[in-house]
Amino acid sequence: MTAVALDQESAEWLRGLRADGPEREQTVERLHALLLRVARGEAARRRGTLPDRALEDVDDLCVQAASDALMGILDKLNTYRGAARFTTWAYKFAIYETSSRLRRHAWRQQKVEMDDTIWDRLPDTAVAPLQRLERNQLMAALERAIREQLTDRQRMIFQSVTAHDVPIDVLAERLASTRGAIYKTLHDARRKLRQALIEAGYGEELTV
Amino acid sequence: MTDSRLEKLLGTADADAGCDHAGEMMDEYVERLLGGEPVPERLAEFVTHITNCTACREDTESLLALIRDEEKKDER
Repeated sequence: MTAVALDQESAEWLRGLRADGPEREQTVERLHALLLRVARGEAARRRGTLPDRALEDVDDLCVQAASDALMGILDKLNTYRGAARFTTWAYKFAIYETSSRLRRHAWRQQKVEMDDTIWDRLPDTAVAPLQRLERNQLMAALERAIREQLTDRQRMIFQSVTAHDVPIDVLAERLASTRGAIYKTLHDARRKLRQALIEAGYGEELTV
Repeated sequence: MTDSRLEKLLGTADADAGCDHAGEMMDEYVERLLGGEPVPERLAEFVTHITNCTACREDTESLLALIRDEEKKDER
């Protein structure tokens, strides 16, 4: 993307962060305070997703998230092209660092377990008997494809995310990976399953 | 997709930006949306991604809520 003319506030942030000495230090300090405010706001927004036992550590997590967001921003400052205001660009770093920490924190005492019978227990919204029968056949074909077409890692990630609602940030931590890499595995698994269903004659059911 | 359960399992088949590339586009998408501007074609992969990826969708919703709150404060 080509660089665009920056608004005055964004240009001031960039100038301060690229300056030397006290001006840079003051700008970094101001940015850190802003990121910490965003992290705390995100934690407040996500409070309902956290179990009670997890609440007391939340502020420490916000402080860590703000620090890591700051590091990320300084590291990637040269990639900022002005497609949005500097603060909007910076906020997403704080949101990412905070939300991923909070998802992992909420799951800290939970195991990620595989249960292959989960596919039989997913709620079916089909009401009419014929419709239900068709769905059952489709689900049987899908289960077969999950067993036969996916690698062990793809199966584990696909099942954890889609059936057990394990956040990909939790899987990323436990598999020593990243959100992007886990999502890529999920995406590849979904593509294989779609292809298998099309080959099994269910292409029409998959059309949007 | 005929059924929301299938959509949750398989996502949509359209081109998907993936988490890393989507993260690069999130700020622009949010400002365009709040500014009432059309979302350009080059952000289509971002839109598909936030349909398919819960974590990135939630992060986008958080950024939208944050900027919207700030704009409301500025108006006061």
